[in-house]
Parts: sequence; structure tokens; C-alpha cells
Amino acid sequence: MYQTDFAAVANYFDELILAEIRKNNQAALGELYKTHYPMAAHLVCSNSGTEQEAKDVFQDAIIAFYERAQQADFVLTCKIKTYLYAVCRRLWLKRLAEKRRFDVTIAEGDVFEGLEDEIGEVLESEISFERMQLSLQALGEPCRSIIEDFYIRDFSMDLIREKFGYTSADNAKNQKYKCLQRLKKLFFEDHRKEK
Amino acid sequence: MNEQLTILELLDRYVKGALSPEETLAVEKRIAEDESFRRQATEHVKLARALKSYGKRVELKTSLDALHADMQKPVVSLPVSGWRKYKTLSGVAASVAVISIAATLWTTQNIRSQQNSDYLELRRTVDKIQKTQSALEKNLTRKPVVSPQFAATGFLISSQGYVITSQHVIAKADSVYIQNEKYGSLKAVVVHSDPVNDVSVLKIVTPVKIQAVPYTLSEAQADLAEDVYTLGFPREEVVFGEGSISSLTGYRANPNAYQISVPVNPGNSGGPLLNKQGDLIGMISGVQTQAAGATFAIKSTVLKEILKDSVLDSLQAPIRLPKTNAIKNSNRVQQVKKLKECVFLVNVYKN
Repeated sequence: MYQTDFAAVANYFDELILAEIRKNNQAALGELYKTHYPMAAHLVCSNSGTEQEAKDVFQDAIIAFYERAQQADFVLTCKIKTYLYAVCRRLWLKRLAEKRRFDVTIAEGDVFEGLEDEIGEVLESEISFERMQLSLQALGEPCRSIIEDFYIRDFSMDLIREKFGYTSADNAKNQKYKCLQRLKKLFFEDHRKEK
Repeated sequence: MNEQLTILELLDRYVKGALSPEETLAVEKRIAEDESFRRQATEHVKLARALKSYGKRVELKTSLDALHADMQKPVVSLPVSGWRKYKTLSGVAASVAVISIAATLWTTQNIRSQQNSDYLELRRTVDKIQKTQSALEKNLTRKPVVSPQFAATGFLISSQGYVITSQHVIAKADSVYIQNEKYGSLKAVVVHSDPVNDVSVLKIVTPVKIQAVPYTLSEAQADLAEDVYTLGFPREEVVFGEGSISSLTGYRANPNAYQISVPVNPGNSGGPLLNKQGDLIGMISGVQTQAAGATFAIKSTVLKEILKDSVLDSLQAPIRLPKTNAIKNSNRVQQVKKLKECVFLVNVYKN
């Protein structure tokens, strides 16, 4: 009579987690992380991976999920676990391919609609991230800090001028312009080279 | 250069959404119309967004790393408190205790049954006599007379015919005969045994008139260095021995006995120990073999306790202990002359 609809309960929890993550609740993120990490660890470690690699893959999957969750139009079409598993699996297969290991087969698990698109996006944002990381490293100081302060931390130019000790606002602007031009070059040229 | 800077500033503000609606419209219009501007703008927007998501991702990665580290922390086990901490240890201690108790009981049992090498109970084995006697009997071709196996000393404690001696003498005896010059050989039965204090009470069963006992049991503990003497039967004849109280405790600090410096031999066990006034202050029980001149005697207070209380269960009427000391004012020779009549050679027969 009082049969519990476990699927419904599970869905309810997923929705709850999603809602909390959208509100940028760190505790919910932590909960999500702790709940699903063993799955990823098992997946990677039982397929010739290390715990460190499991951690990297899982974090990428979590970040992908997080970024998707931040998008206003995002709707859960499957369980979070399914999503994370599919992403982890694909990411790990890709890493294995990079290591020239093609002998590994991993159970596919549940597939959700739009998986391929999702994976494509995940990989793309990851590539973008890595390229930006490399570009910023190549950019060097103080350009890197100026760019990061202005575009990531949203500092005002006045603050940046003060922080880096430029005598005038124009000087700071000039410096920033030069830095940006160099970054553009680094970021887009490498991009083109790759293509 | 300046123009580029202005464009950059505009685009920055455009990306950050800091432009007014009119300016936004103007920028978008320019994007649609001016191709070089469009390229520049697309590139700029792309770069700014890439930077932004890079920043977010770094931030997220840091917090995830923190989470991961948190998760990997080993679970802190609460310190086990008090009793549980020592559970194993106390278990071990308990078993050690049990084993040592068992071992102690076992070894003391051994000592009791085998006689301690360090402590010699002074009963005399009559083997030698037995041999010579049987040799004689062979010559005479007579029916062999069974000779006693052990001999010791005993003394009268009541005119009712009660005699006390050492328990180790008459242990497992089949029959006990006591004898001295005055009464000859008398049959006695064991009425009470106290193996702990090494005291046995005998009752003479041969019908004979027993004289009054001339000495009394001392109520008080003897003093250190007090002169004492004893009579005993280390051989077939009564032997006098004297000395003094060396210690108020006995073998291994036994509080129920004295250590005395009276030279004794096997057969002296159960002999009376008297002081100068002719008060009975103890009964010889044994010697320490590894110490010269260390003889032990059970205190009269202990004897009295046994005769008054412990014996009662085995008797129909209580023992009437001597009340007056008839040899109090006599000299030692006269005392011994009287005492001799009350000291017996105890012959013990067993299979």
C-alpha cells in the first residue's frame, strides 16, 4: 500500500542537489562529490588508472556538471549519477587513448539523450581551459596578474593602477592593452596552429 | 594607438555589460556593419569569456581539491577510554594471576606432602631398630613382632588422659602407642588433628589411673631470650635439652611459632617446651636444616586454642586443662623429675 517509489525519491534528491548547486551551495557540492566519487574511483582504478587520475577525471566531470547547472535553461534529463558516469567514462577513455592504451573497454552504463553533445562541450571547455592556462603561463608577470585582475576578478582600472604602481591611468591602460594583445596572440595563434 | 585603446575600452565595457542600452545598440550595430570591428569584437568577447570561465574553473578546482582532501582525511577514531583501553591487558593480567595462583597451590601442596627440604619435621624413623630386631627375631625363630615405623615425643595435657603431639608424626597412622618409665606402654587414639598448626590430640584408651598434670599452659607469649628447656625422645631414652627463645616468629615468619635455640634431633617432635617457672610455653615441631640451631616450637597460646575450641567437635566433654602449676617453685632438676613422668615416647605404626 505504501510502496515507496525509489526512483521518485532519487529524482527528488537529484533535483534538490541541483537546486542547491545553482544557489552556489558548497555543502551541496560537497555532498555530490562525496556521494559519487567512489563510483569514479572504481571506474578509473579498475581500468588501469590511479587514484590521482580518478580524482582528475571526476573533478572534470563535476565541473562540467556544475557549469551546466549554472546555465539557466538546464534541465535534468537523467540521474546525476548517470551523467557523471557517462562523462567520467568518456573522459577516461580519452585519457587512455592519449596514453595509447586502446585495449580497455569500460561498460557503457546508462546513456542519456544528448550525451554526445554534452561530451563535446565538456571536452571543448576543457581544451579551452588548458589552452588558457598555457597562454597565461607563457604571458608571464606582471601581465598575467593584470589580465586576471581585470577580466577574472573584475577589479577596476584604478585599483589595478594602484596595485601595480603605475603613475597614471593611461600608463596602466597602455600596459593592459599590450598584455591583452600578447595574450590574444598566444591564445588564438596556438589555437590556429592546433587546427 | 589611441583609437585601439578606445575600442578596447569600449569592448571591455561591452563584455562586462557596463554599457548603457544606447551604447550597446551602437556597438551591436557597428559589429553588424564593420567587418574588422566585428572580427576584433568576436575575438575579444571570446577571449574575455575564456578568461572568465578559466577563472571560475580554477576557483572550482581549488574548492573541489579542498573537498577531496577533506574526504580523504582518515576517520579520527575516538580515544578509547578507561577500562576498554586496558581490556586486553587486564585479561592477560587475570590469566597470569590465575596461573600463578594455581602454580602456588600446586607447589605448596607438593611441599605439604613431600616435606620441605629446608624444614625438617622431627619424627624419628625406626628402620634401623626394625632391622636389628628382625635379625634377632630370625635367630630366635619367633613370630615377628611388628615394630613402629616412626617415633616422636608427646606429653600429657590433662589428667583425663589427653596427650598432645605433632600432627606430622601420627599422620596416616594405623595405631599409636605411647610409653614412658612410669606408665609403660599405653594405647592411644587420635581424637583430633590440626595439620595447619602441626598439632594432634591423642587420648589414652588403656585403662590406667593418670596423675594430675604438674604444669600449666602459659597464657602469655614468651619473652625474647627467655630460658627454655625440653624433654624428648630422640632415642629410646628421654633426653633433656635447653636453650632460649631466639625469635617470636617461626619458620618463614610464622606467627604461631617461636624460634628457639634448643638442640634437637629427629624424635624431639611433639616435646614440651617449658620456661624457668615450669609453664608450658610451646611444643617442638621442627628445625630449619639450612640454619644452625634454628628450632621451631608451636606457641602455647595456639595449643590452648586448639585444646579449648577446635577439639570440642571430636569429644563428648571438654578437656579440663591443668589449673595449678605444681612445679613453679621447684628447681629445674625437680621440675624435670616431675615432667619426665608426663612425657611419652610416641610409637606410630602404619602399613
